[in-house]
Amino acid sequence: MHKIAEVEVQHDIMVANRKLAKKNQRKLDKESVFAVDVVGAIGSGKTSLIEALIDAMDYRIGVIAGDVISKYDAGRFQQHQVPVVGLNTGKECHLDAHLVEHAIHDLPLAEMDILFIENVGNLICPVDFDLGSHMRMVVISVTEGDDTVEKHPLIFQDADLVVINKVDLADAVGVDSDKMVKDVGEINPEVQVIKTSLKTGTGFEEVVKAIDKFLKDY
Amino acid sequence: MHELSMAQAIVDTVLDAAEKNNATEVVEVTIEVGMLTMLNPEQLKFLLDVITEDTLLENSKIIIEDVPVEIECRNCEFEGLANTDGSDHYLAIVLCPECGERNVEIIKGRECNVKNIKIEKSDEDA
Ligand SMILES: Nc1nc2c(ncn2[C@@H]2O[C@H](COP(=O)(O)OP(=O)(O)OP(=O)(O)O)[C@@H](O)[C@H]2O)c(=O)[nH]1
Ligand SMILES: [Zn+2]
Ligand SMILES: [Zn+2]
Ligand SMILES: [Zn+2]
Ligand SMILES: [Zn+2]
Repeated sequence: MHKIAEVEVQHDIMVANRKLAKKNQRKLDKESVFAVDVVGAIGSGKTSLIEALIDAMDYRIGVIAGDVISKYDAGRFQQHQVPVVGLNTGKECHLDAHLVEHAIHDLPLAEMDILFIENVGNLICPVDFDLGSHMRMVVISVTEGDDTVEKHPLIFQDADLVVINKVDLADAVGVDSDKMVKDVGEINPEVQVIKTSLKTGTGFEEVVKAIDKFLKDY
Repeated sequence: MHELSMAQAIVDTVLDAAEKNNATEVVEVTIEVGMLTMLNPEQLKFLLDVITEDTLLENSKIIIEDVPVEIECRNCEFEGLANTDGSDHYLAIVLCPECGERNVEIIKGRECNVKNIKIEKSDEDA
């Protein structure tokens, strides 16, 4: 004879990640490290922007470089003489708090003021996974097309700073970067949006100032 | 897409609960998926069907319940269901239905919760 029983489970898979993220943030707070999660489209300029920030800012910087399979970005950061941990996500499309917990463990936090975490290039999946950062910067570029923002609203809703990069190419690809700025404003009226070209340097100083302000206000 | 890793985590959770309760089979699994997650319920269900082969969940019925977005408005203190323009998964932009503000705290809508399971167990265990 068999009987059927109902079992309450109430286990939220998302909450498990969020709890770990909180733990990461407590650890970073204890060491006075300000963490910036850098998310955005593939090839939008995340690595280039972090490289430029390393060179421009007076803070002691460390980096976690998330990549699907290669250690290519980690290698680029190493050339700037900063502590770097490369994370391979394998088949995964995003970093999660557990991966970051391991990476934090391998970084000299006591010798750092800012930690940049370069997420996997993806405007969808990282939304579901807090890492424990203090600030989230979204980097897209004009070459993704001027409907990028409309098509991925959630990542902009949560953002603390939005960078629209490669404006030097806007005319060439026939994209209206002001429309992208306006679209972000409709989704997240409070967020600062900066148009940049890392090729010409346009807007870069503003990004430096914006991050600096977040760090000081924190 | 991370539906596969989510599906795996769900199966692990269910198997754990089933084993703790001496189940001989899992008959039904109910999962709550928030409208603000980047999970596609159809895809999730398909993957669950595939990866549960040869487990206690092999023949189980998978029920996925959409969880609408609930908010607390920081502007007018409204608490309850949000207005989401476009009820589509991934496309929901959250607004306060009272004052139209976007400055809201999300109370519900970001979960992927294994709510409960129905299991079969032998009488001796009852
Ligand atoms: N024209 C132009 N090219 C740029 C700009 N910023 C970055 N690039 C180029 O765009 C390409 C991709 O830049 P990355 O910094 O590697 O982009 P990423 O977002 O880190 O890329 P993934 O990590 O692969 O997702 C490189 O060839 C950069 O030199 C810019 O403002 N203008
Ligand atoms: Zn990169
Ligand atoms: Zn581990
Ligand atoms: Zn994913
Ligand atoms: Zn309101």
